[in-house]
Amino acid sequence: MDSFSLLMQGLASAMDPMILLYALIGVTLGTAVGVLPGIGPALTVALLLPVTYGLDPAGSLIMFAGIYYGGMYGGSTTSILLNTPGESASIVTAIEGNQMARQGRGGPALATAAIGSFVAGLIATLLLAFLAPQVVKLALTLGPREYFALMVLAFVTVSATFGDSALRGLTSLFIGLALACVGIDGLTGAARLTYGVPQLMDGIETTTLAVALFAIGEALAVAAMLTPPDGMHRVTGSVRMTATDWRRSWKAWLRGTFIGFPIGSMPAGGADVASFLSYAAERKLTKHPEEFGKGAIEGVAGPEAANNAAAAGTLVPLLTLGLPTTATAAIMLAGFQQFGLQPGPLLFVMNAELVWTLIASLLIANLMLVVLNLPLIGLWIRLLSIPRPWLYGGILLFATLGTIGVNPSPVELGMLILFGLMGYGMRLYGYPIAPVVVGLILGPMAEQQLRRALAIAQGDWTTLVATPVSATLLGISAVFLIVPMLMRLRGRGQVLSQVAGDAD
Amino acid sequence: MKHAILGVAFAAALAVPAFAQDYTIMAPANPGGGWDGTARAMQEVLQAEGIAPSVEVVNVPGAGGTVGLAQFVADSGGDPTKLIVGGYVMVGAILTNGSPVTLKDVTPIARLTGDTQAIVVPAASDIQTLADLVEKLKADPGAVSWAGGSAGGTDHITVGLLAKAAGVDPTKINYIAFSGGGEAMAAILGNQVTAGVSSVGEFAEQVKAGTMRLLAVSSAERLPGIDAPTIKESGFDVVLENWRMVAAAPGLTPEQVAKISADMETLNGSAGWTKMLADKGWTNTYLAGDAFAAQLDADIAATETVLRDIGLVK
Amino acid sequence: MSQGFSPERRPRGAAFIIAAGLAGLAVLLLLDAAGLKQDGGYAGVGPGDVPRIIAYGLLVLAVLTALSGWKGNLPKPPRQAPAPVLWILGGLVGQLVLLHVVGFVISGALLFGMTARGFGQRPLWKAVAVGLVLGFVIYGVFDQLLKLNLPAGPLERLIFRG
Repeated sequence: MDSFSLLMQGLASAMDPMILLYALIGVTLGTAVGVLPGIGPALTVALLLPVTYGLDPAGSLIMFAGIYYGGMYGGSTTSILLNTPGESASIVTAIEGNQMARQGRGGPALATAAIGSFVAGLIATLLLAFLAPQVVKLALTLGPREYFALMVLAFVTVSATFGDSALRGLTSLFIGLALACVGIDGLTGAARLTYGVPQLMDGIETTTLAVALFAIGEALAVAAMLTPPDGMHRVTGSVRMTATDWRRSWKAWLRGTFIGFPIGSMPAGGADVASFLSYAAERKLTKHPEEFGKGAIEGVAGPEAANNAAAAGTLVPLLTLGLPTTATAAIMLAGFQQFGLQPGPLLFVMNAELVWTLIASLLIANLMLVVLNLPLIGLWIRLLSIPRPWLYGGILLFATLGTIGVNPSPVELGMLILFGLMGYGMRLYGYPIAPVVVGLILGPMAEQQLRRALAIAQGDWTTLVATPVSATLLGISAVFLIVPMLMRLRGRGQVLSQVAGDAD
Repeated sequence: MKHAILGVAFAAALAVPAFAQDYTIMAPANPGGGWDGTARAMQEVLQAEGIAPSVEVVNVPGAGGTVGLAQFVADSGGDPTKLIVGGYVMVGAILTNGSPVTLKDVTPIARLTGDTQAIVVPAASDIQTLADLVEKLKADPGAVSWAGGSAGGTDHITVGLLAKAAGVDPTKINYIAFSGGGEAMAAILGNQVTAGVSSVGEFAEQVKAGTMRLLAVSSAERLPGIDAPTIKESGFDVVLENWRMVAAAPGLTPEQVAKISADMETLNGSAGWTKMLADKGWTNTYLAGDAFAAQLDADIAATETVLRDIGLVK
Repeated sequence: MSQGFSPERRPRGAAFIIAAGLAGLAVLLLLDAAGLKQDGGYAGVGPGDVPRIIAYGLLVLAVLTALSGWKGNLPKPPRQAPAPVLWILGGLVGQLVLLHVVGFVISGALLFGMTARGFGQRPLWKAVAVGLVLGFVIYGVFDQLLKLNLPAGPLERLIFRG
């Protein structure tokens, strides 16, 4: 097997102590920067790329792989411990992960995230190594109509993040959709809801909204409590996963991997969409539905595996076709060019040695990540024993650091305050936070793909169901949407009164 | 005491060494894009060649660079250490967004690099030449879908100019804007659209691998090493270059401008810059001084006309 | 994310305020959509159409929210302490206003200090002092080492560039 021997050769050359040291440095730096709220993998890689200059290609690539996986992983730690997602792909992690942390189970939550990321990274990197050319062929057959159908499916499954009231969940989602309209319309260039403010032209930044709603909203809500809930941040129990945790996690890791990898490989997919779908799948398949929303470990294991698998999936179009499908991938492309690598359809042929070194590097970085992070879990959860004034002071300082570092404009900081207040208000009245961010992410994707599909078909709506893939995805969405409604209709009378009246 | 400290601080901040000076380069875009790449390439070479001891890159993304431009003009007036990277896309964005701040408000120093636009079709397409494509366009403009970058950007302008030159109503083109280069390329490779427009560099590897067919390039002359006619020799009078430039702050003295220009001249002449451009696959189209100023004026006028024709500027 | 408050079954004023807010947002969307180009080109769906659909959805949700408030189906939040919220907001607004005047370290120290004060840390000057140290470390690591550009004030220039 040709690929296999090439991979082994790559792995052997990476087993040099210096190379392993570079991997360790890369993973450490990547995790440290990626952990900051508002600084996602793209900026992490951009900031740290210069660190890799001046090393030989092998050392540089491995440090780089470490930074990439470290940056992807870093976001989950703050999600789980502090309810402060670092980037959009770890938003759903916060839902169950933070509930677990509040019950003193932050250790197992971090462990399942770390091991899940490792398992997903391992499988997905191997899939990348052996199946990339086939996967990319499939991914290319998908066009705007299939992506629209995928977004519809994602929308239907968003209800999994709604919490205990459909009305309040939908309201949150629609607020997100409304916010998503702000900015220049991608297809016509028309400015929507910008009121002449240039900073609004590019729309509301996902990280700004997420950091404001989660971090600042959370800080305000916790500060305003007259009697802090007992033991909210106390660490109880073991930091290790129990046998039950393992049993409940491993399937979720695998499912997350097989949801994340293909979606990451699609040119218009993305790690965030993958994590939403994985969360919804776990919620549908779980044997413990009563635990969801209250700290179900599957809800951490699945999405964390999915977003890491999607990160590896992103490399499929990048390495096989030279298509950078995310900002992170675009920066990686710039990174490759310093080694004379020209990503494109001929990359695997022309630069076989470097490609396999990169893939071997990814495998080693992935291992390094879990080696570094499992022992650190004990240290991370100590974060929670920092006295609350210092802890929240630090959270707010880091939360604003992310925004200031990316874009130090008063408008951006103003939005941070405004949405922070909104997050506080929403917590007061039991409105779920995640659907707002989900709406902001999925809304423009769905709208643009729909309009692209229709423009290509010159306004013919039947184009949306004209291919087997799009028709199947829309069919599944319809089933998900209609079946629960029918069941409610039969069980409890009218749908509308049910939606309006199920606040409790 | 406090005042004394502040005074020292300000003096320290304002003290500029006589010869080598530090620079802060604003990339008015997110990390990962072309302007960010240009700024970071400049940062690396300026430092490595010892032209400037310390160079920082600031990203101010938004609205085709106009957010960064406005902030640059507001904050950097009279400061000779501040530079901004920009380009042809900014010219269009200033017009379509009705930006109050324009390129007249900064001090353009030099054009650094350029990209030629290319028109491609998927390898599986039955279209063989630009003439075939234009024939289809004339027959039914809606049936020809074009994949490219953002609405009103260089790619969109290229299609508008071609339609106009071919005698087709530019408002009738079926242009599909994609947000990232990768997504547009995937749509072309996957045969989702009729044709695609982007820079030659983006398509070069695909064309080499035979997954796309290059119909024409937008330069005035044929490009070395690229086997495709120009749009002009195919019979349509369209010449377009997507350039990137560096500009300095408004309100500088002639001496300060001369110093920055000299530094950019040194940068352009350095071996490090030549290697950087080769690595990145960028073409050096260095142009400075009055020649660049004249070119800029001509581009702004031409862009305004075409954006009006496409219907993006009223 | 809801904290499991027990709802009281009587009309709730807050629900009407939320409903009014949603309706207001819908009106903003509709007004803005009316000012956009109505032509959807070859797609037939123009820039104003999706915002319009979202606005109708918000209007329906506003009515349902008001109805559910009338029936008392909104969780009643526990009593809130306003002072800590004001301390934190003060810190955030202070940072917004002062960032480009005094730089990242001082404005960040104020934010840190006022947040800590909001969480009950006293005295304020001690919290701000801790914030200053933290701010310097962050500035040193991110601006100086990692070249993330953070706004510099007199203090940063004095220490790092003097």
